[in-house]
Amino acid sequence: MSDEQTAQVSVLGAGNWGTTVAHLIGQNGFRVKLWARKPELANEINQLRRNSRYISGLEGVHLSHNIEATSSLAEAVRGVPLMFIVIPSQAFRSVCEQLGELVDPSQLAVHATKGLELGSHKRMTQIMLEETCLRRIGVLSGPNIAREMIEGKPAGTVVASRFPRVIELARDHLKSKQLRVYGNTDVIGVELGGTLKNIIAIAAGMATQMQLGENAKSLLITRGLSEIARLSVALGADPMTFSGLAGIGDLMVTCASPISRNHRVGAALARGMSLTEAIDSLGMVAEGVKASQIAFELTCELNIRSPLMHGVYRVVHEGLDPRAALSELMNAAVQDDIDPSLVRAATGSAPGTGSVSRGPHG
Amino acid sequence: MLSADEVAKLVSEVSERVITRVGSRSLAETLDETLWWEQERLRGQDPTDEETLADKQFYADVHRQMQHATPLEQRRLLVQIVDRYTHEIAGNFSPTVYKFAAKVAPPMLSALLTGLSPRRLFGREAIPRLDQHVIIEGETANLETLRERGTLIVTPTHSSNLDSLLIGFAVHELGLPPLTYGAGLSLFRNPIVGKFMHNLGAYTVDRRKRDPLYKRTLKAFTAVSLEFGQDNLFFPGGSRSRSGAIERGLKKGLLGCSVSAYRNNLMRGKPNPDIYVVPCTISYPLVLEASTLIEDWLAEVGKSRYIIVDDEFSRWERWLDFLRGIFALDLKIHIRFGQALDPFGNPVDAQGNSLDPKGRQISARGYLQVNGEVVEDPARDAEYTRELEQRILTEFSRQNVIHPTHVLAFACFELLRRAQPGVDLYRLLSSIGSGRSEQSLALPEVEEEIEALLEQLEQRSAAGQIRLSSVITEAITNDDVAVLLRAALRSFGTYHPKPVVERRGVRLHVCDAKLLFYYRNRLDGYGLRDAPALASFASPGGARHV
Repeated sequence: MSDEQTAQVSVLGAGNWGTTVAHLIGQNGFRVKLWARKPELANEINQLRRNSRYISGLEGVHLSHNIEATSSLAEAVRGVPLMFIVIPSQAFRSVCEQLGELVDPSQLAVHATKGLELGSHKRMTQIMLEETCLRRIGVLSGPNIAREMIEGKPAGTVVASRFPRVIELARDHLKSKQLRVYGNTDVIGVELGGTLKNIIAIAAGMATQMQLGENAKSLLITRGLSEIARLSVALGADPMTFSGLAGIGDLMVTCASPISRNHRVGAALARGMSLTEAIDSLGMVAEGVKASQIAFELTCELNIRSPLMHGVYRVVHEGLDPRAALSELMNAAVQDDIDPSLVRAATGSAPGTGSVSRGPHG
Repeated sequence: MLSADEVAKLVSEVSERVITRVGSRSLAETLDETLWWEQERLRGQDPTDEETLADKQFYADVHRQMQHATPLEQRRLLVQIVDRYTHEIAGNFSPTVYKFAAKVAPPMLSALLTGLSPRRLFGREAIPRLDQHVIIEGETANLETLRERGTLIVTPTHSSNLDSLLIGFAVHELGLPPLTYGAGLSLFRNPIVGKFMHNLGAYTVDRRKRDPLYKRTLKAFTAVSLEFGQDNLFFPGGSRSRSGAIERGLKKGLLGCSVSAYRNNLMRGKPNPDIYVVPCTISYPLVLEASTLIEDWLAEVGKSRYIIVDDEFSRWERWLDFLRGIFALDLKIHIRFGQALDPFGNPVDAQGNSLDPKGRQISARGYLQVNGEVVEDPARDAEYTRELEQRILTEFSRQNVIHPTHVLAFACFELLRRAQPGVDLYRLLSSIGSGRSEQSLALPEVEEEIEALLEQLEQRSAAGQIRLSSVITEAITNDDVAVLLRAALRSFGTYHPKPVVERRGVRLHVCDAKLLFYYRNRLDGYGLRDAPALASFASPGGARHV
């Protein structure tokens, strides 16, 4: 792959994770366009090979020279066979609206945004389908702490798409000695796994701050996973997805790592900060805050028991004391270890929405 | 129009395609499979039937020759079988008949339908005209242009065997040539219409043949006929709706021919490669085969008959009663064409250009391209077909035309269901009309329920989510439930052996619970009046419980 080649892939969004994805692709020897909304940021990346706003504290690490940053969306998008979209969930639709004018049906797109749209509860792939002509689309998700990836530490990730070609092409650009890329056809499950784990991460942050111990953390993670799976299956996901990297894998890392943003919000709340203070202290988006509200609305609407997610919602949005929430959880009625709805789904009587039809060509 | 030469080419192309696909598999295995399925089928047939005898002889020969056959001989045997299948499917699909069909069949059909009217005795002036009872509406204006720019696949909802005849009539009225379609053998053998099925452009589908090779041949036939530019008619639901509900899932095998034909056209550089899928609803105030269909649906889950041969459709007296009802009460059957789609489920504009969700023109061939080249990718195309399916279903739901019979049935059923909460559907149905008090409803109560239902229907209709027939629209505008109720009761009293619902003084009596359920189901799945979806199989557990 020579420098003269024009980029065949672009990353839209130069935040922490978007920059990291572009860097990983660049390091694999591919020219990659990186769209930054602000021209100053694009300049900084092009000239100084760094992104001081979103990737800081990594002295000595330069961003790949294969990255061509631009603040023109059209330039980043036109004629590129594959794009990665890494835009915060609440800005996702407005970027897709602009994309709609620029893309064509031959292009493939993978988003790496963990979140659902407020109000509509829509997943990011749903928004892409509503705003653009893109059809061959997918989602990238998994236990991927950006900083560790930039440092070159080993990791695994998941690309989910109904189109094998999307998984193939995304994998070709991302895979390396450092990164294993797994495929999955359950787009809904991978999107929801990545989104809902952020809520549990907030709870984990609280638990860490309150020094509840490792047993409690494990209880939190497993019961959290059960709630994530229950809601996701009701929305059409495959329960098996949650035993993979985008399920338990992602949940474990977010709950274990104190540098995760959601974890930090949880810890701040447990220290007695208000939500605004907690968010201000972070300086970045914590997807779990919005996700907890959406999950609360969805579980109420679908009548799904989710004590943990409801507890986080009430602490985050209603100002409930985390200690009170904990005691409520510990006193609540105990159910089966493995939820009956998941057993049903796993043994093949899953709802029609989640089943994969083999189609005319098998 | 295809010439005799082209038809021969079509047939040989089908055979070739099927046989090439077998290539990768063991020939012997395929032959064994066919022998097993065909002999299994023949065991159940009337042993004196000529056709059965010929088939038995044919497969006995194949069986004998197979014993020591070399791979080359095995291939020859396979060619024989596939050719036999293809010729049987093509049947009388000859250009002469086809041309004849274009001119003669629709008037014949009209004559047949109107000729059965009892009023024919009153002289020519009084002959009711089919076109006065069949309303052709919706997005019909562009069909002619689309047909010139590419190949059409009309995909209607399916409630009755009359559907294909009515579509034939509609297509003629719109000035389009007849559509090619696969019709079950039972239709060809039907004493009333069998004689002119071929004239409607039909080829033969024998649903008793369950050999996978036969199914592949059938699919190849459809695909090739599309690629030869023949406009097609698919009933994408597979068979007539047993429950009375509109389709909530489609057979993707046949539907997948749309994207594969488009792809093949592009790869071969055909001049007009586009394929346009035109969803369409056929909405009857009364359905000829309603009783048979709902009985079949209610038969134990999974045990319903796929092929029904001996229903109302083959009985003259039922046709007469049905048409008498339609003509006497001036009922309208609505054939409503929806938004035309490309094989990916995108809407197309008047010129046949694909549009993205925001109405921008796009080049749809891009969906099949890798590095600028159109390539084959079955998994990808299966996914596109799944998306096409969803778009067709949405269109069905939006273009479904509701008649007074549906409204009355839905309202009565809701009242009965609510009166016995938590009761299993079967118990509920058997409790109605078995001499207990539940079968009768107070008129004001029904009227109130209808009013509430109409309010919701009005909103849905304004939002473009469903269509209402004129009687219903008038009832809403004039705030006059009585007119609607009267129309529904008259319809329900006219064709079915027992009135579905009957007025006695100030009460309504439900005389046929199953038919009430059948007609109610046309409004199933819309979430009206918070009613559960009862006719859909999509949700496990709850499907048949009230």
